[in-house]
Amino acid sequence: MLQDVDVAVIGSGPAGMAAAIKAKEAGAENVVIMERAEQLGGLLHQCIHNGFGLLYFKEDLTGPEYAHRFIEKVMDAKVKMLLNTMVTGIAPDRKVTAVSSQEGYTTFRPKAIVLAMGCREKTRGALNIPGTRPAGIFTAGTAQRFVNVEGFIPGEKIVILGSGDIGMIMARRLTLEGAEVKVVVEILPYVGGLIRNEVQCLHDFNIPLLLEHTVTHIHGEKRVEAVTVARVDRNKNPIAGTERQIECDSLLLSVGLIPENELSLMAGVELDPVTGGPIVDETRQTNVPGIFAGGNVVHVHDLVDNVSWESELAGQSAASFVTERKKAAGRRVTLKPGRNIRYIVPHTISGEREVTLYMRVNDLEEGVRLKVGGIMSKALRVVKPSEMLKIELSSAQLGKLEEGTTEIVVDCEKRGE
Amino acid sequence: MSEIKTEVLVIGGGVLGTAIARELSRYKVDVTLVEKEADVSWGSTKANMCIVCQGADALEFRKEYRRSKLVWESIPMMEPLCRELDVPFKRIGELTIIRNNDEMTKFQKLKMRAESVGITTHQFIDRETLHRMEPNIAKDAIGALYDPTIAITDPVRLTIALAENAKQNGGNLITEAEVQDIARNADGFEVKTSQGNISCEFIINAAGMLVDKVAAMVNADDFVVFPIRGYVAILDKKVGEVVSHEVHARPEAPGESNIITPSVYGNVLLGTPMKLARRGDYATTQEMTDVTLRNAHQLVPDISGKDIINSFAGFLMFRNWELGWHECVVSASRNVPRFINVSIGYPGVSAAPATAKEVVGLLSQEGLKLDENPKFNPYRKEITDFSELSDEEKTELIAKDANYGHVVCRCETVTEGEVVEAIRRGATTLDGVKFRTRAGMGRCQGGFCSPRVTGILARELGIGEEEVTKKGGKSRHLLYKSKALLQGRE
Repeated sequence: MLQDVDVAVIGSGPAGMAAAIKAKEAGAENVVIMERAEQLGGLLHQCIHNGFGLLYFKEDLTGPEYAHRFIEKVMDAKVKMLLNTMVTGIAPDRKVTAVSSQEGYTTFRPKAIVLAMGCREKTRGALNIPGTRPAGIFTAGTAQRFVNVEGFIPGEKIVILGSGDIGMIMARRLTLEGAEVKVVVEILPYVGGLIRNEVQCLHDFNIPLLLEHTVTHIHGEKRVEAVTVARVDRNKNPIAGTERQIECDSLLLSVGLIPENELSLMAGVELDPVTGGPIVDETRQTNVPGIFAGGNVVHVHDLVDNVSWESELAGQSAASFVTERKKAAGRRVTLKPGRNIRYIVPHTISGEREVTLYMRVNDLEEGVRLKVGGIMSKALRVVKPSEMLKIELSSAQLGKLEEGTTEIVVDCEKRGE
Repeated sequence: MSEIKTEVLVIGGGVLGTAIARELSRYKVDVTLVEKEADVSWGSTKANMCIVCQGADALEFRKEYRRSKLVWESIPMMEPLCRELDVPFKRIGELTIIRNNDEMTKFQKLKMRAESVGITTHQFIDRETLHRMEPNIAKDAIGALYDPTIAITDPVRLTIALAENAKQNGGNLITEAEVQDIARNADGFEVKTSQGNISCEFIINAAGMLVDKVAAMVNADDFVVFPIRGYVAILDKKVGEVVSHEVHARPEAPGESNIITPSVYGNVLLGTPMKLARRGDYATTQEMTDVTLRNAHQLVPDISGKDIINSFAGFLMFRNWELGWHECVVSASRNVPRFINVSIGYPGVSAAPATAKEVVGLLSQEGLKLDENPKFNPYRKEITDFSELSDEEKTELIAKDANYGHVVCRCETVTEGEVVEAIRRGATTLDGVKFRTRAGMGRCQGGFCSPRVTGILARELGIGEEEVTKKGGKSRHLLYKSKALLQGRE
């Protein structure tokens, strides 16, 4: 049933929908989007808060509204949708295997693939928090699904570990539902998510935030009864004598997201150990020809708008790969993270077209200058690990690249040093 | 539950209790098993290194002890049992690491003693052979004692399978029935449980961590046991085979075992020294993780704490600290006729097949009539594992039942069809589904599948989603419906 597919997009969250629409617009004829849930949109449906689309649509939308705009475009573009379909394998030759109730077990070989599987949450096991193993421990995103989609409240007295965006948004959401969020505990000296969420979700609702603290023990046999919270030292180790017990019936974890790349690995896609996502060039092509990637599967974004833009690029490149059989650019310049730069996406550029660099810093710093080799320099008041930096390189700047350059170092320097 | 009458009451649904119930179902005996948890296997059986002692491990055993006899008799029985019950059984072999010449001397003695009782499967291997077989082992190891026969299984699946097969053959299983009191009467016993009274003629006390407490209810506690706590850490599958054999160093003292082994599902398990602990205190500590990793590093330096995806504590009952792991309790009470206490301590799983036969023998001595059950069927089929089927089989299965086309657990590729089948066979909780199907055991630890499995449990059991529990009792997963907390508030 799936013959002559030009571009197969795996996942229909903001990344998958943007890639599929753009691939179609860019001339790929037969575009298929494969989604394991019963509708398009991915996790946007459970994100009923606002703040989506401020950049992309210049409007303040909720997650479902943002999804709806793209769903309509997918429909209009006549992209083929396979819902309730779980992709179980991708081979290096791009053979895709999938399972669904309607179509059964299927395999096909599209001419190009866009990986758009998004990311998943870190769990309690990954943190290895000591204590018992009762009911009442949820990742913030799973709790969000239960509250906003399934219609259930995990508990009445909540402690949240980690101040990621979903954790802070759930602190406000559960407060509005009548639960008491006792405290949000963050191991770092600053919040993990966006400032706007710290203000609008925690401060505006008088939810206590404990910085430089962590949960050191979980209590309760069948259901969570309390957690022990302690201050941490500079190396994030709990300080003896600072422990205190907080009574609660639920513990939510918002301690980080991991790009979901099990399928990418099956396909032989090389991953960056820092981002956890594929190593990509400026067209978002991975090391496997014809396999592209966009959105949170590449690196975890803080704004959906950037996910959409980045994935449009992946979709467009996949279409070009099919229609023009375009070979990767001959020239390849590697971008190397320098001082206080954690990662840069894309990992390589050709220097032949304008490009947007997405990057994150390791540490919070004030009064810095961002330098991309000798071709670009920009003063910044403050940089934070939680807020992605976006730098556009113009043709003029790229023109300054010397012949034979194979590597550019990106540094975030302290000004005045 | 109204008053139940049964001939033999088995208390405790661990690997021993279920093995005994299944063994009794070979006979025309009316047997009932009560388990205090919502499912079988959730005590000591669950927190387990999954190793089946097949020889070298029995080095430490002495023939004068009953426990050694039960383990040795079980050796030829385990693989056929797993085959009958369609339970994973994988012979991976064992390497006991030798680090110096003193150890070498000790091992020679142990090997000779084992050979004197007929265990002849182990052999010494030199440094080069060891490092070829296990390239990641610490470089200071000078050799190993190798036993190719040691195997691994999944004790939880084995216990579930034993319980299912006992039920198939006429046994009765009651979960969430905690024994509260036992009184003797003219016909035998009157047992008060949290689900009503049960009168019976014989009692098998296989209550695991509570074996002495249950015995004490009727003054049948003519033995002493000590609760010993162990800790197991599970590593992510992506770590792969850092070891392909069960690897351990010889403990300096009882309880100080230090084991690294693959599981039947491809995860690596790390075991830790066992310590006397407050009974029922399952809470793990940072120290347990630290000690486990430190020990593991002595054997395999490359193991990283970052790869731990889950960890837990479990209890064994040692007969006493000195002889702790040598002796066990498998005997009729001296004070109370027709009451049999069963506690192996370690290794309960490995000794289960012969222990079950032994207990049936003891029942016969106590006066139970054993007529063969002509309808006994030893075979039981595991729930279909969709991810293991061939392409054709997958297609065929989905065509027959569309639920198999709906993948609910992405990490382990578990379908709705498998979850429904697990519930049909007795799973009533999220953990019950997890142990039968592996939904929720993968790297996302239920983040994706728990809303879906919660929905399927509610639908199949005919209850509200907020009534679904993680592991029975007060472990409800979702405490309120939307807006419930706002009602009556201004």
